[in-house]
Amino acid sequence: MKAFDRSLPAWLVLLSPAAIVLFILTVYPIARVLLLSVFQTDYGFADADFVGSENYTYLLSNSGFQRASWNTVVFTVMATASEVGLGLMLALLFNRRFPGRFVVIPIIVAPYVLATMVVTAIWRAWFHYDFGFLNKVLRAAHLPPVEWLFNPDIAMLSLVLVDIWQTAPFVFLILLAGLQSISPDVYEAARIDGAKPVNIFFRITIPLLMPYILIAALLRSIESFKIFDKVYALTGGGPGRATETLSMYVYRLGFKFFDIGLASAAAVVMIVIAAVLAAVYAIKLAGGRAE
Amino acid sequence: MRRVPLIRMGVAFGVAVLFAMPIVWMVSTSVTPPGDYVGRTLVLWPEHLTFDHYRALWEKSVWRNGLNSAIVAAGTTLVALALGLPAAYALTRLRMPARLDIGFLIFVLLVKLAPPIVLAIPLYHVLRAFGLLDTLAGLVLVYQVYALPFAIWMLLGFVRDVPYSIEEAAMIDGARLLKRLRTIVLPLMVPGLVSTAVFVAIMSWNEFLYALLFVQSPALFTLPPYVATLITEDETLWGQLAAIGFLASLPVLIVLGVVQRGLTRGFASGTH
Amino acid sequence: MRRPFTALASALLAVAMAPAALQSAAADETLTIAGRDGGYATALNRMVALYKEKNPNVEIELLELPYGGLYEKATIGFREKAGAYDVVMLDDTWAVEFMSNGWLADLDQLGGGLDADFVAPARAVSRYPVGTGTHYAVPFVGNVELFAYRSDLLDKHGFDAPESWSEVVEIARTISENEEGVAGVVYRGKKANPIVTGFLPILWAHGARVIGEDGQGGLDTDAALAALETYLSLKPYAPKGVETYNSGEVRDALMQGTAAMSIELWPSWAPSLDDPEMSKVPGKIEIMAAPGQVEGPKPMLGAWLLAVPADAPNAERGRDFIDFVTAPENQKLLALEVGTPPTRASVYEDADVVAKYRWYPAQLDALNNANPRPRITQWSQVEQILGDYLQLALIGEMEAREALAEANQQVDRALSR
Repeated sequence: MKAFDRSLPAWLVLLSPAAIVLFILTVYPIARVLLLSVFQTDYGFADADFVGSENYTYLLSNSGFQRASWNTVVFTVMATASEVGLGLMLALLFNRRFPGRFVVIPIIVAPYVLATMVVTAIWRAWFHYDFGFLNKVLRAAHLPPVEWLFNPDIAMLSLVLVDIWQTAPFVFLILLAGLQSISPDVYEAARIDGAKPVNIFFRITIPLLMPYILIAALLRSIESFKIFDKVYALTGGGPGRATETLSMYVYRLGFKFFDIGLASAAAVVMIVIAAVLAAVYAIKLAGGRAE
Repeated sequence: MRRVPLIRMGVAFGVAVLFAMPIVWMVSTSVTPPGDYVGRTLVLWPEHLTFDHYRALWEKSVWRNGLNSAIVAAGTTLVALALGLPAAYALTRLRMPARLDIGFLIFVLLVKLAPPIVLAIPLYHVLRAFGLLDTLAGLVLVYQVYALPFAIWMLLGFVRDVPYSIEEAAMIDGARLLKRLRTIVLPLMVPGLVSTAVFVAIMSWNEFLYALLFVQSPALFTLPPYVATLITEDETLWGQLAAIGFLASLPVLIVLGVVQRGLTRGFASGTH
Repeated sequence: MRRPFTALASALLAVAMAPAALQSAAADETLTIAGRDGGYATALNRMVALYKEKNPNVEIELLELPYGGLYEKATIGFREKAGAYDVVMLDDTWAVEFMSNGWLADLDQLGGGLDADFVAPARAVSRYPVGTGTHYAVPFVGNVELFAYRSDLLDKHGFDAPESWSEVVEIARTISENEEGVAGVVYRGKKANPIVTGFLPILWAHGARVIGEDGQGGLDTDAALAALETYLSLKPYAPKGVETYNSGEVRDALMQGTAAMSIELWPSWAPSLDDPEMSKVPGKIEIMAAPGQVEGPKPMLGAWLLAVPADAPNAERGRDFIDFVTAPENQKLLALEVGTPPTRASVYEDADVVAKYRWYPAQLDALNNANPRPRITQWSQVEQILGDYLQLALIGEMEAREALAEANQQVDRALSR
């Protein structure tokens, strides 16, 4: 690699286009958001009043913001945990060869490649109280219909259900790749030593798979934290505030209320939380490299 | 020894049926007359097929929205690859001063983690500065927020897979960097570029938030925001919704069928 | 290896150029309209088709959006000066914001005044300052909020048409308890504009106002609390899931005969109340101005206006289209074919129209006496805030008093900006 030392500008030539584009699209906007967050404004800086930390104090004491933060945490934890759990079960199921395996895998993966708008279109129809597919099935089985979207206690679970359907396949693929990277010799050796299947699973499979499980959980938690489209199209954040997440909250402040200063402050809080998640991710990656 | 694992197979197929059910419902509803799906009875497949929903969509020139989506997906993919490949190469093969490579990688990672809504407000400002508000080119630009970090991250692995010895051999022959890139690295990376392109294209084909916020002219709507206008409609136009959902999904499902074997690898390398 | 890329790039370029080429080949001029969905879209589509027949060289793009989506697309477009639309449809409550910000074009400068045939309250909100100022819009849909009830069911249980909201609660309770499969009352419980619109007549009747006379929030008052408690006491007699109901569900409940009263009925929702093919209870639904309580009934104006944005690329054509749509003959056509409530007094008195809609004289009377919602620039935000808290109270997540207090605090913040 040292051979490249003489052509030092080469890295600059190759890297700078991407760097410039990313700078314009992210560094500049984030700096602007930071600045806007200490002003009261409905648009840009033209008619802005400097208010210092007022937006932040208002936000942190605002019950809507608190609820949105809590909802985001609840959604992230529930969605990530159930997706990793289901993904793991699916990966274990498909880790052995059986006839038709490669026909079935793409079918299970299909939901993941669909547009979220298409996914929510389907599920809105499925959740419909009177004519929805799910309640029709329940009625056919002589069970009471469920208030999927308009009961505040159930709406969040419905949202998680849709997220599971769409993204558990993603976790499944990562964990399947992980399982297939475990050498059969390891199992063979354990079996020769007379280990029971349960022990093999907990002592060998899970520990060896752990890096993959962690990566999948981190990726899913980061994505869940950002969730917007599904909430927008499925519940609009309702009923009441039962499913309003942080992205939805920022969106409403910014594009319904045009309270740009406050929206920016909320955005900054989101960036901080995302950065903490990023730190966890980075530490994990660094740890992976050290091994 | 080699017996067919019937239980495992049964469970697997059962799971597949559950996962496929919403998609099957979508296809069947798209050909069901409106009166049938709002009834209270459970109908899995319509008695009388109708293509009215597709005809209604055709009359609304939905093909144009599809074309917009295709243009944006192709443009986004091309830009992401054109910028991402040199960057990935530089980060893998070239030494940078002051550990700039590590710094840049962390930066890329941060971009990947930033919630898109957070950038939305200032991005208006950026697009207006370039005169790209309410244009498809503007969408291609802002989609780099998602596409470029992903492309760089995914291509890193593929660049590493190109045997360095081949490049060294060419270097002895006196081939300059750009020529090496073109004649050696690029051809060897075609599979990697294709799988990166597939993922980026699907991502931008499906993107909703920025398409909703940055495009105002109906003639420039891509498919997802168009679908959204049907979803929030007061009336239950499920037939049309299912029809457009199916049409919008068809390309990605076909791609999924074609590349299914490369999927696992693609996901795995895209995530590390 | 370079060739495939060059080929791909040029193919892409060709595809990118295609729509532009297609469009310019098909028409000389494009007119882009941002309008509402549902029945409004039916009306606009009818007009677009008719206009195209007369002007074959004009290509028309019609964007059909739900209430919130239209507001958002329009305001973002205006703020960014995107120049995306030539005609925009606006709720009369948005008018002050759009007009005072200079987002709309002065229609007098584009030719043609504001015909005195348009009903007075709708004419007033088409100008800014209200009533006297510059002419920015033309009234398109003459909606006024009314109250609907099933005369047969009320008769059966010995009630007259309710004169107060307390009576409405009493009737709703009686019918819910005694009629199988019929909810006593129905309304729109969906967040934002729908829930607020249903609640306002009740609030007004109780003598409360969203914006007090001092220009501050007026929700943290005993009168407002009484109004909200009345509103909440209707909930047990409403259909399950009323929290998510919008106009479609309310209309269906009325026409399927599953609700005895609707606290709000907009004429544009229900042109087919008497149509036996659409309605299971033709001729049995009566429409009247909303009941009073401590104050007399106050019909609420809900007009939809058409305007030309200040940044419209094709302003003259936009003005021409607006004139076309709001011309007497086309207002009549829309009333008869689509059921769009007219804004011209002459159309309400037209014999063909009255023959089809028996309630039109009463509707014109209500329209002539209609009160607009507060004329403030921040109304959209105020409505969002109030809508959020009303729904929190409706689903029982917040006490009525607490919800009003918090809503009031946020309304004050919005008003101060």
